Amino acid sequence: MSTSLLCGVWIAVGLSLFTYTFLYKDNPFFKLAEHIFVGVSVGYLLTITHYEVIVKKLYTPMVYQGNGWLIIPTLLGFMMLAHVIPRLSWMSRITFAFVLGMSSGIAIPRIISSFILQQVQGTMKPLITVSENSWLFTLANLNSLLILVGVVSVLFYFFFSIEHTGAVRRVARIGIYFLMVSFGAAFGYTVMARMSLLIGRFDELITYSSAAYGYATLVSLAAVIIGLAWWERGQRTGAAEGEMKEDNNSV
Amino acid sequence: MYALALRLLRLDRRIIFLLVGLATLLPLLYPIGLPIRVSPEVQKVYDYMEQLPSGTLVLLSFDFEPGGKPELAPMAIALLRHAFQRELKVLGMTLWPAGTGLAESLLAQVAHERGKQRGADYVYLGYAPGDSNAIISMGQDFHAAFPTDYYGTKISDIPLLAKIRSLRDIPYVISLTVGFPGIDTWYVYGKEKHGFELGGGCTAVSAPRFYPLLHTGQINGLLSGLRGAAEYEILLGQEGKAVAGMDAQSATHFLIIALLALCNSVYFLTRHTRGGR
Repeated sequence: MSTSLLCGVWIAVGLSLFTYTFLYKDNPFFKLAEHIFVGVSVGYLLTITHYEVIVKKLYTPMVYQGNGWLIIPTLLGFMMLAHVIPRLSWMSRITFAFVLGMSSGIAIPRIISSFILQQVQGTMKPLITVSENSWLFTLANLNSLLILVGVVSVLFYFFFSIEHTGAVRRVARIGIYFLMVSFGAAFGYTVMARMSLLIGRFDELITYSSAAYGYATLVSLAAVIIGLAWWERGQRTGAAEGEMKEDNNSV
Repeated sequence: MYALALRLLRLDRRIIFLLVGLATLLPLLYPIGLPIRVSPEVQKVYDYMEQLPSGTLVLLSFDFEPGGKPELAPMAIALLRHAFQRELKVLGMTLWPAGTGLAESLLAQVAHERGKQRGADYVYLGYAPGDSNAIISMGQDFHAAFPTDYYGTKISDIPLLAKIRSLRDIPYVISLTVGFPGIDTWYVYGKEKHGFELGGGCTAVSAPRFYPLLHTGQINGLLSGLRGAAEYEILLGQEGKAVAGMDAQSATHFLIIALLALCNSVYFLTRHTRGGR
């Protein structure tokens, strides 16, 4: 195994354990991991964006392939940066106007078509199945009915132009139940997602606890526990000394 | 009973963290092998891949960054294994800048495992900046959107992509999504205009957002979370990290259900002391 990979493993294990120490309480190990994470994330993102966008999509085509027209988006980009200079900030409005106009023009018709028209079509599916000589109410029809009732009742709940009394109140009430079910489903999925992250991390920590990785997890865990105990002891000693000083001052 | 309920109300939250940690760790160390049922939405993606003729180009968009790795990497690996097993040609890319390296390593890892050659069996295009604009650009002129692949090889020099002019020439696109841009972006700016079939994979937290698209047939299938990845591994007959993680997932879910039941019981047992009705 290469030294760089081994170093990466030890750093990954150490930072994971540092992060999990927050479950005990806020401490310097967690803060260190948090600051490293923020710094590395921003640095990585900047590097990737610089290489993939500025070098590959702008500099190389403009300088080496003679795509001179790329000067126009480049100028628009610089004009956007002028927003931070109060005297020149008016220039940024031109770029913002361009971006806003273009994005709206592209997005509005497509989003209406994809997320409104097609979803409305999906809501209005047959509530009965008609065969040659009979009408059937299948499970698929029950699903369609549930979706229809759910959509209509939730829309009633969010309809504030009339007072929620009588029949409107009852329908809006059904809408609340549908909303509660959807919140519950969303919460269930959220729990599932968070647990998956924990499983993914634990899976790697287990892998890295083997002899091939120099028992990285076990050694790091022991070091973190000792470090936390040492820090906790320092905190308590500091607090006790503070109390003694206060007592002496009051005497 | 009442005294116990009061004690539970004052329970140190770190005990709950410890219980969740143990419920996750123990099944990973000692797997139980709980049964996993394949859902229709996962089956549809698998079936669609199965009926594609060998040599068909499939675009796999790794629209995630390292934060989504535990859920989406097993999904990507299972899909790539299936594609290479079926002798499909894979085109990889990402709409997320921070996912560039991760996507490349996943694609290269599975290609190496299956003995596939870069340029002949798969191509990695790297990061496409501009979210929706990237997809629009790929739809208008594929070669202009990606003049080179991730490694700097000219697209026109890659035989696999010589005949690809726009997204219309790609029959199947799968987006593995952690947020925006992702499946919905591919649908709105890609599928609706260019008519390719679209499948998706997403983190569990974003799954409820995509079920309406599945219901209307706007996407042909959906793999949601670690569970979706595990189901795909089962279908493929190659159990990997997702299946291994499902016991831990079930154990933590049981624990959380038990804690919810306990909390509600304690609440009802002690509510009169808090002036509740």
